[in-house]
Amino acid sequence: MLKHKTTYLSITLLVLGFSLASAQVSPEIRLGARGVMSFNVDARSDETSSAINDFSDTALLLGFRQKLYNKLRGQLVVGFQFPDADSELGQVFYHQVFVKLENRSNMLKLGRSRVRSALIEFPTLRDDDALLFTDVLNPFSNGENTEDNQYGNVIEGTHLFGQRVWLRVHGEHFAKTPLSPSVAEADFGLNAIGLSLQYRVPETQMWNRPFLQQVGLGLNNFLTDRRGFTSEIDQALKNVSFSTILNVRADPVHFWDIRHQTIFNLGFDEIVRVDDFAAMARTKSVATFTSLRYLYRKLERPTAQLAVSLGYKAFPDLLTDTNQLQAVAYGFYRLGENFDVGLQYQFLNYSGDLKTLFGDNEHRIQFSLVFSIDQTWNNQFDDRDSLLNLEHGHIQ
Amino acid sequence: MNRRDFLKTGAALSSAAMLPAAVLAESAKLENVKKFPQPIKYRMAGDVKEFEIFIDITEVEFAPAMKLHMLAFNSQVPGPEIRVNQGDNVRVVFKNKTELNHTIHWHGRHVPWRMDGVPYVTQMPVMPNQEFVYEFTAEPYGTHFYHCHWGTLLHMQAGMFGSIIIENPDDPIKKSFPYEREYTLIYSAHDVDFMRMELNDMLERMKERMYLMRNGRFDKERFALFDSKDEFRKAVKAGYQPPYVVNRRAPSELPQPNWFTVNGKSYPSTPTLYIKEGETIRVRLINAGTEEHYLHLHGHDFWLVCDDGLPVPQPWQMNTARLSPGKTLDIIIEGKNRGLWTFHDHDTRRVTNNGLYPGGNLMLLVYEDLPMEERMVGMMPMKGMKMSMKGGKEKMNMLPKVALDE
Repeated sequence: MLKHKTTYLSITLLVLGFSLASAQVSPEIRLGARGVMSFNVDARSDETSSAINDFSDTALLLGFRQKLYNKLRGQLVVGFQFPDADSELGQVFYHQVFVKLENRSNMLKLGRSRVRSALIEFPTLRDDDALLFTDVLNPFSNGENTEDNQYGNVIEGTHLFGQRVWLRVHGEHFAKTPLSPSVAEADFGLNAIGLSLQYRVPETQMWNRPFLQQVGLGLNNFLTDRRGFTSEIDQALKNVSFSTILNVRADPVHFWDIRHQTIFNLGFDEIVRVDDFAAMARTKSVATFTSLRYLYRKLERPTAQLAVSLGYKAFPDLLTDTNQLQAVAYGFYRLGENFDVGLQYQFLNYSGDLKTLFGDNEHRIQFSLVFSIDQTWNNQFDDRDSLLNLEHGHIQ
Repeated sequence: MNRRDFLKTGAALSSAAMLPAAVLAESAKLENVKKFPQPIKYRMAGDVKEFEIFIDITEVEFAPAMKLHMLAFNSQVPGPEIRVNQGDNVRVVFKNKTELNHTIHWHGRHVPWRMDGVPYVTQMPVMPNQEFVYEFTAEPYGTHFYHCHWGTLLHMQAGMFGSIIIENPDDPIKKSFPYEREYTLIYSAHDVDFMRMELNDMLERMKERMYLMRNGRFDKERFALFDSKDEFRKAVKAGYQPPYVVNRRAPSELPQPNWFTVNGKSYPSTPTLYIKEGETIRVRLINAGTEEHYLHLHGHDFWLVCDDGLPVPQPWQMNTARLSPGKTLDIIIEGKNRGLWTFHDHDTRRVTNNGLYPGGNLMLLVYEDLPMEERMVGMMPMKGMKMSMKGGKEKMNMLPKVALDE
């Protein structure tokens, strides 16, 4: 009898399971993939080396999005990338694992994702090519990898005023390295908070947008264990960022823009010498990075791009005169949709304390092949920045 | 679900379902008038009837909770109904208020060829903020329609269609089947995801092209527009990739309609055909969509009297009419079997909203003089309750309900 009851229960659950499964709402499915393969030649002041195949920054992203009740939308994104071989992160790094809840004007994001360490992106082959200039640096990192600076566990709330003004409040857990695995696993507390305010013209309106494309102001605070101070305000490492993107010529065929970002790291006064990455991130500094970009679009798609970027970073509190300089020239030619062949040259120069960390200078040439896709299936609803929603009434 | 929950749910559904139950109420009839193409007024300019039509993008509601952006003539989907007499001189001043290109094609009209509305064949497209004046003599009489002929696959299903009725004072149909009331029903089918994505893409492309045009710059390959086929072939030989090849912009599949409308509405918002016992009504059926419809009327045979606006040599009776894309059919319904009857596509895939039956082009033929005692319908007898068509209200229920799920 009991056996019969159990069988009946199992069948009932099975049937219930099927009926629930059939009631599932199909989400929008988005696949993003980017394969970046480059042949690198590095010439440092003391040695020359080459890498036959550098595939760091190659990533795969899978996203699911659907409409919820009450005009809400929910999203799950899972992604991984292949970090640098010497990054101490293993073969694969899960850089995006987050859930987002949003309506027309508000967004809440929770999980592992890109931290808000930069206000804008720059035209370089890889995201982290100019990281020391373009991002607020993680003062808990030993600098073995760039992912410590780019990704973290985040909680982020965003409010959109109208269509173009974004107010974002964010809290992060930045990775602390090096730590023993047991400590690392246990410590996921909030160690950074920040906010940013940005005016941003939606990408879809690029051909009728005004001269000003973006302007932003950001504040990042790292909650450190600064020795000798008990007040949390004193212990907080504060960075203030400013960014802007200006259209030099908003022409659909020959497009020119200039983008600039300055990061003021208010630093800790007592750090007057830099002998590791953490000290570099904690001492006072001013980093500026500027790019001039030319984009040629032959048939309403990017055909070729050339960009020249310059970065300069000064460390005024250090006892020795220390600064760093970076110049990047990057160009790509599109062989077909999604596929680029690129060439990048970088020059980096270090002085003062940074010489001991990075050497005197470095020349790097990279020949790259890049395949990137962004494909959506089951596209069931419009985006906030679609022209229909922006210019013809927003449909939730 | 236990019985108490079931009853609670049933009560909630019932109260919601009763919203349009008064299909025979005057208010419902007044509301229903708005669900047919609205005639547009003209002004006389000499001996010419002059109409003004514009195109804009507006929000349209197929059914409650289903809103989308559409291209709408005079902010209506379908566009306004142009009604003229045979032989009238007609002028239509068409203003493009969108950032897309358009034309108007007078489907089935014997217009001068340069008025036929085919871009780059009979005229240049009507570009953003431009006006184009169409002039023709209203010939031949009958049920016809107009639609955009630019980006036709998208622009038609995105709403750019409307009826044009050319009346004949000596209409043989009216002589054979005297009628007072007539209705126009325009059918369409929509892949709403394709519409939304392609409209957005087109708007983006056009912003870019308009920028170049404003600056007097024109590139044949960029605009995919060549002076001759030879020139195009040479361009391909020289490496030009036309938009339709898979390595440029070709979509992976053709649109698959998942919403089906009559006069821009899907069930339960579709219009109702009212009739009285003994009355004869004329229904003008127009297929402005891409799908074939097999329109079936319950409880009646109707007369097919016109095909493509032309009177058929011999009207004949049927209860299912095949309405192909681009066709118009006129049917006559005689009020000989009072009640509430459904009129719908018998390819029942088109009687769905987003794949759920019922929906789509399901609509009703309603005898508005239906006696009160016949407005009741028996419910499923519950335990201990006897089914009786002559029973009191406690055993009966008013029709119609709005049932949105199986």
